[in-house]
Amino acid sequence: MDPGVFMARYIAQRLLLLPLLLFIFSIFAFVIIQAPPGDFLTAYIAELSASGSSMDQAQIEALRRLYGLDQPLHIQYLRWVGRILRGDLGFSLDWQRPNAELISERLLLTVLLGLFTFTFTWALAIPIGILSATRQYSFLDYFFTVFNYIGVATPTFMTALVLMWLAFKYLGISVTGLFSAEYVDAPWSWGRVVDLLKHIWLPAVILGMDGTARLARVMRANLLDELHKPYVEMARAKGLSEWRLVLKYPVRLALNPLVSTIGWYLPLLFSGSVIVATVLNLPTIGPMLLRALTNQDMFLAGAIVLIYCALAILGTLISDILLAWLDPRIRMEGS
Amino acid sequence: MYRHLLRTRFWWIGLTVLALLIGACAPSPAPEGQEAAPPAAEAPAEEAAAAPAEPAPTGRYREAPMLAEMVARGELPPVDERLPEEPLVQEVVEGVGKYGGVLRRGFLGPSDHNNYTRVVYDALVRFSPDGAEVIPHIAKGWDSNEDFTVWTLYLRQGMKWSDGAPFTADDILFWYNDILLNEELSPTPALWMVNQDGSVATVEKVDDYTVRWTFKQPNTAFLLELANKDGADKSIHNLAFAPAHYMKQFHPNYVDREALEAKAQEEGFDTWTEMFAVKVMPHLNPERPSTAAWVPDGSTVSDQVFVLKRNPYYFAVDPQGNQLPYIDEVRFTFFADKEALNLAAVAGELDFQARHINMSNYPVLVENQDKGGYRVLTWPTFGGSDAVLMFNQTYVAKDPAVGELLRNRDFRVALSYAIDREAIRELAFLGLGEPRQPVPAPNHPYYPGDEWAYKYTEYDPDRANQMLDAIGLTERDDEGFRTLPNGERLDLEISVVPAFANWSDVAQIVVENWADVGIRAQVEIRERALHFQLRDTNDLMIEVWNEDTTGFPFSGQPKMDPRSNPGLTFGPLYRKWYETNGTEGMEPPPEVKRLVEIIDEAKLSGRERQIELAQELFRHWVDNLWEIGTVGLTPMIQGVVVVNQDLRNVPETAGNDWPLRTPGNTRPEQYYFER
Repeated sequence: MDPGVFMARYIAQRLLLLPLLLFIFSIFAFVIIQAPPGDFLTAYIAELSASGSSMDQAQIEALRRLYGLDQPLHIQYLRWVGRILRGDLGFSLDWQRPNAELISERLLLTVLLGLFTFTFTWALAIPIGILSATRQYSFLDYFFTVFNYIGVATPTFMTALVLMWLAFKYLGISVTGLFSAEYVDAPWSWGRVVDLLKHIWLPAVILGMDGTARLARVMRANLLDELHKPYVEMARAKGLSEWRLVLKYPVRLALNPLVSTIGWYLPLLFSGSVIVATVLNLPTIGPMLLRALTNQDMFLAGAIVLIYCALAILGTLISDILLAWLDPRIRMEGS
Repeated sequence: MYRHLLRTRFWWIGLTVLALLIGACAPSPAPEGQEAAPPAAEAPAEEAAAAPAEPAPTGRYREAPMLAEMVARGELPPVDERLPEEPLVQEVVEGVGKYGGVLRRGFLGPSDHNNYTRVVYDALVRFSPDGAEVIPHIAKGWDSNEDFTVWTLYLRQGMKWSDGAPFTADDILFWYNDILLNEELSPTPALWMVNQDGSVATVEKVDDYTVRWTFKQPNTAFLLELANKDGADKSIHNLAFAPAHYMKQFHPNYVDREALEAKAQEEGFDTWTEMFAVKVMPHLNPERPSTAAWVPDGSTVSDQVFVLKRNPYYFAVDPQGNQLPYIDEVRFTFFADKEALNLAAVAGELDFQARHINMSNYPVLVENQDKGGYRVLTWPTFGGSDAVLMFNQTYVAKDPAVGELLRNRDFRVALSYAIDREAIRELAFLGLGEPRQPVPAPNHPYYPGDEWAYKYTEYDPDRANQMLDAIGLTERDDEGFRTLPNGERLDLEISVVPAFANWSDVAQIVVENWADVGIRAQVEIRERALHFQLRDTNDLMIEVWNEDTTGFPFSGQPKMDPRSNPGLTFGPLYRKWYETNGTEGMEPPPEVKRLVEIIDEAKLSGRERQIELAQELFRHWVDNLWEIGTVGLTPMIQGVVVVNQDLRNVPETAGNDWPLRTPGNTRPEQYYFER
């Protein structure tokens, strides 16, 4: 079979599966979000009482009816799915606003932060990996190895706390949030963009640290596998310059496993980090998801999780396509 | 001994150090030589009065410069026309203030809507700053007939909503007819409006500025209830007025139902009632006119920054005739994390904050006062106890042997003697407060006397041992712990939700203390929704919570009333018995029924009899010791107040409780910045 046709059919199959998978995920998401004891109202009442307020039973019942929480689980699910099928992501119980509005408000900054992080990670990790592998057991290699182990082993929220403090101490800036106080609710302007750039680098570095370390380790290991293969010796014997040789052949091969992870970034771009973003007080989707889950705001959490699932499926598909495009061996296997 | 405690203290010290370091590096915004001393209480009034801008010299009242400019541009009627004929004259704490400034606060997002409610405290009547009485607010006064069945409320002529529309009796009648009596909006009418026979009290318009409430039985809690009808909990049950001229467009009694439903769908709501419930709250819908000192400026509690701007029609003036509020704007900044909010307070980024300030940060806050440019006040609550152990009186239905012990008064008294309250005070409450039982504070009229406040609070393990022996718990198992009378292992569980304070530390100390007298117990730290659910299903043996309702035993949901829901795990099956009129649950013994009798009598009695009954209630409460108090009178509940050094007219001490809407009862509209 022609490789092109094979790929087309493969992609079509995957896309056809998407609605079925989403349907299954939607049930799982809904059931799991509802799994903890109580419902949105018990969580809400608990939160109210934690700040000194209390509600009587009549009020609680009225709210339960207002939100439709008095109905059986499957009816609630059908109502939710019904709205989604009509292209409506539903209404957040906690925020009392449409979910689509809440998500889209935070989408731009979440994706921006994700792209920054992604760029930072790849721009740093690949060269470090190559350097480490080609200069194995050199000072530089040991240096990066130690650096990487620290990066992998330190929880990112801890890094966030330490860097927050350092930035405060030495630069005198408050690094929580993505904007200074005067720009938080201002309309977009040149000043606001500059202000964003002033703030976004720190979360990007923190979030990228862990990924950089991991990616550099993988890159180093992959490349080391390739560097001792006969074709490298051959090319070297033929007099190819060392840098050209390494970059043109082994690096391309070593990138393969990494490319297969690119697709995973798609859902990550959407949700961003949860814990670090909460610690750093970032207005992204992650903290909103965390909050929706702890408050059992199942419509908002469900909407986010569902989009996340859809992006994960699409991301895997994109990875597969990229891989096939990058590696002729995979393309040919199909035929 | 307190291994667990040491561990948490270690963390706490770590955080303290971190906070200190951050505080230490914070740029100090306040110049060093600034006059820190606040003006004396009797500040020369004339001198201060010169401070506000001097616009409109012709009129009776003066206004903020930003409003004077709007008047000059013709965008706003003059201040004399905006104020009612008899504006509320607000006393000032220190002196007449200056206009201007932004009050910066922190909030935790959409479910922190009561943060707004507490700052504006927008009700027909209010609690006084000390919380001892109800005072006029939107309503300029009231009277009642002799037997307290008919209450008449007088409104202010010429008072206006924030959009300039008149505020009249119709705004109360709209609430009554179209919200309270509307079965779609209120399937069950708010309890405070329901007569004892189940019918709903009547509300009539006498004239445009007079409204009359008629109940079928004496109602002495009427004003207390009215003082809390300010849209709290963003619940329409907590309203007693609404802007009729604006809200009619969202109500099917005034517009076409189908068009309304379509509009609701379009805005993402399922039904018109859902839409109405949102549109009627100023902090959810900034277009909704309000009567508060500050009104939302286009943002809501679900935004990153929630901004309130001064209401040009606010109906109050200071003694010099300057329209309030003094401060231009209130800015709530969203914090995803409570600790981040606390750090912001330490760094001096918040001007006035008690809500969400963690009492355990008190030493750090005090340490950094000068650098952060703030001072720290403490406003302890009305009394009660900040960590109590509530014993489930109906656990016997689940486990007869353990349940019988929990029901045994002598057992509870013995366990109370076994507790080392000084250790709890030092280790969990930073040495603040005092060991006491859950009764009101000494300065409160309901205080039952020292004898009951400190009854059974001595640390006396010997006596505890004797009492436990006396009730027959003499057998011990091979670990040295007392066994149940039937010879089985006794293992008490204390359920703790880490909500306000180091309650898990308190419980841990209690467990060690009880082990010393041979009672095995363990601490179970639970997520609060789970804890609440287990409480409702009669599955908790003992829980730690705080007793914060001693100032209001006859209104709301007092924890001394077995019918309260939510209440503590006093007796979930007793509550069921009351709810079902005796068909389900468990019938309470006479001493529990006595509580209900006292509370019901007080609800129908005049003030003096109420005070007698309240004292009796608390004597009875301590004598039976269903709830063991440990330490009380600390500023644990929103009582550590961080105040900008420049902020004036903040009282040094104030009544602090949720029904008072603290700091609302301290009248934030008369706060001002001395800069």
